[in-house]
Amino acid sequence: MLVLQILINGLLLGGMYILLAQGLNLVFGVMGVVNLAHGAIITVAGLFTFWFATHTQLNPLVLLPVVFVAMLAIGALLQRSLLEPLAGVGRKSELLSLMITFGLSYVLVEIGLDVFGSQYVSLPNLQTTWSLGGLTINEALVAAGVLGAAISGALQIWLQHTDSGKCLLATSQNRIGAVACGIDVSRMRCIAFAIGSSLAAAAGVLIIMVIPLAAQTADSLTILAFVVVALGGLGDYRGAVLAAFVLGIAQSAVGYYGGGDAESVVPYLLFILFMILRPQGLGRAAQAQ
Amino acid sequence: MTQAIFDRALRPLALASLAALLLCATPAKAEERPIVIGGSVSITGALAVDAAYHLHGLQQGIEDANAQGGWLGRKIELKYYDDKSDAGTAVRLYTKLITEDNVDLVIGPYSSGITQAVAPLINKYEKVMIEPEASVPDIYVPGNLWNVQGIAPSLGYLEGVLPLAKSHGAKTVAVLALKSAFSLACDKARLEQVKALDMSLVYDTTYALPQPDFSSLALAIKNAQPDVVVVCSYYPDAVGIAQALQRAGYAPKFFAEAIGPAEDEFTKALGPIANRIISNTSWWASLKTAGNAAFIAHYKATFHQDPDYHAASGYGAIQALGAALNAVKAIDQAKLHDWLLHNEVQTVQGTFANDPNGAARKFNQYLFQIQDGTRKLIWPLADAEAPAQIPYTGQ
Repeated sequence: MLVLQILINGLLLGGMYILLAQGLNLVFGVMGVVNLAHGAIITVAGLFTFWFATHTQLNPLVLLPVVFVAMLAIGALLQRSLLEPLAGVGRKSELLSLMITFGLSYVLVEIGLDVFGSQYVSLPNLQTTWSLGGLTINEALVAAGVLGAAISGALQIWLQHTDSGKCLLATSQNRIGAVACGIDVSRMRCIAFAIGSSLAAAAGVLIIMVIPLAAQTADSLTILAFVVVALGGLGDYRGAVLAAFVLGIAQSAVGYYGGGDAESVVPYLLFILFMILRPQGLGRAAQAQ
Repeated sequence: MTQAIFDRALRPLALASLAALLLCATPAKAEERPIVIGGSVSITGALAVDAAYHLHGLQQGIEDANAQGGWLGRKIELKYYDDKSDAGTAVRLYTKLITEDNVDLVIGPYSSGITQAVAPLINKYEKVMIEPEASVPDIYVPGNLWNVQGIAPSLGYLEGVLPLAKSHGAKTVAVLALKSAFSLACDKARLEQVKALDMSLVYDTTYALPQPDFSSLALAIKNAQPDVVVVCSYYPDAVGIAQALQRAGYAPKFFAEAIGPAEDEFTKALGPIANRIISNTSWWASLKTAGNAAFIAHYKATFHQDPDYHAASGYGAIQALGAALNAVKAIDQAKLHDWLLHNEVQTVQGTFANDPNGAARKFNQYLFQIQDGTRKLIWPLADAEAPAQIPYTGQ
C-alpha cells in the first residue's frame, strides 16, 4: 500500500510537471529557443489567479479558459513584436531570441512584483482529501495532474491529427523541409509561442492551488521545466510526458526514503546522468527500443 | 586714493565677516542634518513576507521617535535597499551604506543567515549594529564584537511545544527544518529537547527552498505517526508543509511551525487548515511591555494591519538605539556599543539586555495558537489568553 501511495504521489507530481514543462517544450521544438520567460508567465498567471479569486470569491478554475485564450493573444503579440523580427538575422537568431526571453522574464517578474507584491501566496481551494482503501488522494493535486494530462493529451491529438498541428510538428522536426512543403514557418512560430504561453499561463492558474508562488519563484520554475524537457529529449512531446512522470515518481520515492535534501537534488542529478549517458532523452530512448 | 583706502580697509573686513558667517553656519547646518540609519531589507525573495513586518517596525519606531523630537535634537531617517533575501546582495548593500552613503548608524537585516553574512563587515568598519531579526547564537561570539542581538535567541523557538504536548500525553515527535541558519539552530535545540524530555523521535529531516513539493515528506510523517510535528520553518515552507500534511490525510495531535503562522498571509493561504496550528512569538499585543499599547495603535493606524513580533523587534531596536544615543549624547560607535552591553532598556518586546558577546539575555518566548481564525497566546500558562485547543484537526 505504501509503495502504491508513493507511486500515486509521484504520478500526481508528474502531472504537475507536465503542466510546467509542455509549453516550454513546444516553443523549443518549433523555434529552437528555450523561453526563459516561461516561469515568469506561469508565476504572473498564478498571482493574477490569486488576486482574482481573493477579490471575487469565485472558483479559480473559472479563470482557466479565460487566461488560456487571453495568453494566446498576448503570446502571439509578444512573438510578432519581439521574436519574429530576429528570425531573419541568420544563425544568431536563436541566441538573440534567448536573450530577448531572458529580458522579458525580468520585465514580467518586475511587473509581478509591482502589481502583486513580493509575498508568497497560495489559494486554499480544492483542499478535499479522498481516502480510498488506505490511500489518500488530494483534490488539488488530482485537478492539477488530470488537467495537466488532459491538456497534454489534447495537445498531442492536435499535433498528430489536425492539419495545423501536423504543420507545427513538421516545422519542429525539420524547418527546411517544412518550408519546402509550403508550410508558413513564420506563422507556425507565432502559433507555437502563443500556445506555449497559454500552456504556461494555464499551469499558473492550477499551480497556485498546489504550491505557494511569489513573483521571484519564476526562475526556479523555468529551471525545473527545462530539466523535465531535457530529460524527455528537447522538443520531444511524448518524451517530456514520460520524463515528468519518471521525475515525479523518483522524487516521491527518494523524498520518502531519503528526506527533503535528497529529494531536492533528484531532478538535477537525473539531469546530469542523462546528459552523460543518454543526451537524446527518455522519449527518443524509449522510441529507439 | 579714497578707493584704495576703502579697498584696503573693507576687503579684509568683508572677507573676515564671510569667514565668520561660514564658520558659524557650518556647525548649525550639521546639527540640522538628520541622523541616517542604514540597512538592507528583504523587500523581495523568500523572506519578504516576514521582513515586511520588520521594516514596518523600524519605520514606526523612527516615526514615533521623530514625533518626540528625534535624537540629539535631530530628525531620524531610514535609508534602506532591497537585499532580495540574498546574503551576498546584503553584504554589497551594507558596504555601500557604510562607505558611499556614509550613514550614521546601521541596523541589522532580516534573518539570521543574512545577518551572519553581514557581521564580518560590521566588525571591519567598527559599526555597532543592533540585529532585531538575527536569532542564531553563532553570531554573538567574541570575534563578532560589534553585533548586538535584538531578538530572543533561536534556541528558544517553539521550546514550549514539547513540554505542552508531553503534559497532554504526547510521546512521539517528528522534527523538520529548512536548511537555513535560524531553522537549523531551532532544529538542533528541539532535537536535544526531545531527548531531554525522554520523548521518542520518529522522523527527522531537513529540506531546502525552493521545494515545490512536500508530499513525500508528509507521507513519511504519516507513516511514522508522530503525536507532535515540529517544523523549524520560514513562511513559504510553513504553508507548503501544512498543505502537504493535509493532502496526505494526516493530522498530528500537535502541529507547530516556527515562522509563518504569525502573519495574516498564512491564514489566507491555508484557510481552515491553519486552525489549531501552534507557533512561536517573542512579543504579544496583550503584554504590558514599555510603550506596547502606543506601538500597536500607531502601527495599526499607519499600516492598517496588526503588528507581529518581527515588527516589535524592529520597533524595539529603534527604542534601544535611541536610549543609547540619548545616554551617550554622540554618534560614537564604541561608546554606543559599550552602553548597549552594560545597560538595560525597556522596549515593546521586553527587556533589551545583552551579555558581553552581544547575545540577548532577557527576552521571553511565548506560544500562540490559531483558534478559529484568531491568534491566542497559549503558553506560558501564566500569560495565556486561552487554553490550547487539542488536537490539531487539519481542517
